[in-house]
Amino acid sequence: MMMNSGSSSGGGGSSGGGRTSWPSTTSPSGKRIQKELKELDSHPPPLSSAGPIADSLNHWLATFLGPPGTPYEGGIFFLDILFPNEYPFKPPKVMFKTRIYHCNVDSSGNVNLDILKDGWSPALTISKVLLAIRSIFLNPDPYNALVPPIAHLYQVDRKRHDELAAAWTHRFAK
Amino acid sequence: MFRSNNLVARLFERQTHRSTPGTNIHRARQFYENLVPSYTIYDVECPDHSFRKFTEDGQYLISFSRNYQELIVYRPSWLSFSCCGEECDVHDLPPRANKFSSFFTQLYCVSLASSNELICKDFFLYMESNRFGLFATSTAQVHDAPATGGAVQGVPSIEKITFHLLRLEDGIILDKKVFHNDFINLAHNMGVYLYEDLVAVVSLRYQTIHIIQVRESGNLVDVHAIGEFCRDDDELFLHSSAQCGTINENSRQKQALLNSNEGVPNSGHSTTPNVFLSGIKQRLLSFIFQGIWNEEADETNRVQRLKKKFYFHFQDYVDLIIWKVQFLDRHHLLIKFGSVDGGVSRNADHHPAFFAIYNMEAAEFVAFYQNSADELYFLLEKFADHFYTPPNNSLHTNFISSHSNNLNACEQLTCLKNKSVSFSQFVKKTLVSLPFTCQSQSPSPYFDQSLFRFDEKLISATDRHRQSTDHPIKFISRRQPKIPKFKIKPGPEAGNTDARAKKVSSFLFHPILPLVISIQQTMFLQFSVVNIHFRK
Repeated sequence: MMMNSGSSSGGGGSSGGGRTSWPSTTSPSGKRIQKELKELDSHPPPLSSAGPIADSLNHWLATFLGPPGTPYEGGIFFLDILFPNEYPFKPPKVMFKTRIYHCNVDSSGNVNLDILKDGWSPALTISKVLLAIRSIFLNPDPYNALVPPIAHLYQVDRKRHDELAAAWTHRFAK
Repeated sequence: MFRSNNLVARLFERQTHRSTPGTNIHRARQFYENLVPSYTIYDVECPDHSFRKFTEDGQYLISFSRNYQELIVYRPSWLSFSCCGEECDVHDLPPRANKFSSFFTQLYCVSLASSNELICKDFFLYMESNRFGLFATSTAQVHDAPATGGAVQGVPSIEKITFHLLRLEDGIILDKKVFHNDFINLAHNMGVYLYEDLVAVVSLRYQTIHIIQVRESGNLVDVHAIGEFCRDDDELFLHSSAQCGTINENSRQKQALLNSNEGVPNSGHSTTPNVFLSGIKQRLLSFIFQGIWNEEADETNRVQRLKKKFYFHFQDYVDLIIWKVQFLDRHHLLIKFGSVDGGVSRNADHHPAFFAIYNMEAAEFVAFYQNSADELYFLLEKFADHFYTPPNNSLHTNFISSHSNNLNACEQLTCLKNKSVSFSQFVKKTLVSLPFTCQSQSPSPYFDQSLFRFDEKLISATDRHRQSTDHPIKFISRRQPKIPKFKIKPGPEAGNTDARAKKVSSFLFHPILPLVISIQQTMFLQFSVVNIHFRK
């Protein structure tokens, strides 16, 4: 069912991943992504989902429904996932496309997750990444904050933090 | 309804018989069968203006000077003359009947455009309640304008677009609203919709719907700007929240600088490229996502559906731009989304398009349809009058024929439906008319399809230029199908000497009186032939 462009793009040094040079199904990263896609299909993570945009394999979109009981409840958050050509030896790049009030997400949508940086291991899969992102919805990590003021507020005045986060969800993530 | 066709008999009948409850206006309108603009004065001596239209209450005739700098407003008056002797009917009209000034009195002439601006000859909106007119002037279009400051790539730019609010009683300019380096589709009022006192202006370039209120005092007040943000204080809220680090601090200063440029409604565009989805896109995408998510309870099926219907098309959805907007009521907008190419080009029929209904108060989408959606078509078929929302709620505009209020128009639609090869093609073709263009239909009773039949290819209530033939256009009575009630013939009486020259005509029907102006223009030649059709 998946298409491919025929040409293997393996060695291309294109960074950031436009839609032009994606790993084909014949390249190692393409095969790996295919496999993860199948795994994701059979075991979808709770209240989230992900899939390739159009017919490119290295550009995915993930959607998270704000977990109930958190200030993100009711929101729908879209995230871009870009797989580098060196995947799985390099981590995928994850960006929020929906504004969120969260100490681990900066004002350009970058996510601070250890497993997407130094903590990355080729043994990790996209399902694990999705679970990790889901966990920061439930438990923000103020000790590895990208936005210190939010982390500070989270620790000092949790109620106010939650109010603000809920207001953001209401305004920008509905 | 009346039993006789005779005017006197009808008047008597009106005195003695009550009409069926609720139909008194319909019955009154039947008198138009007896009062028709059947007499034509050919090639009237008239000032060389571009005549735009009659206002919907028939009080004013709007025209622009040929250099599109000035607005000239006329009051329609009836030709009056006296004749001595008996049998007045056999007398010819006096020689001054051939003059435009015998039918129209000039009220005033106002200069609207300044320096390099021109009046947009296809744009005019009328607020009947307080007799305000909305006009637009603009500078020339720049086609390959660079997409800066969040503008959409591929949309042309106009350096300056000015909306002028005029009190038509005396031609005083009450207020102006200026858009800089923006693109608003002004042809045939496409990009602007008036509903009650609210005006929706679609900025194609910055993908923002500006809602402007026309106050009774004659001021244009910005109410909402829907696009990058959905609620009015979203931007303020965003900047005042704690998350704003140094980057946002910087852009806030820029914002302050921009905002000091007063009277510029679209100065609020972010200067840095935005990674986030715009407010309206986020809402649209989450509405589509939720729809698919809730459709399927089974998890594995849901995954497949989302993949096929959502993720696969995600980029296409993101690339959609707002084409056109109309009000459905004070809170709901019907928005047409499509690709960039289709938004600018005139003929957008073959481009994929979507319709969405957006609630401005709740800042959320209520419905989303593809342009081949049966459901939306059936709604339009049955409730066209709910889509056609007259801005003034006036009596005249309530009687514009549509397939939901008129049996004949309905039959016509059914006939088209049966003739069409595929139903989905037919649906697409019919839905092209959505969202409706504001004030594009003439409320003249001669276009009432329960009274008259006419060839819609040659003439119709829709305000458009039409290719003209040398044959007169016949208006045939519905009740007596064999009798042409009157004919409208544009152009010179003797026909045109050069039959090959392409000619276009436009028709201005007075909304109440049996009075029509027809203007025939030969392509590439500036001169035009103006005929006046009225009841002698």
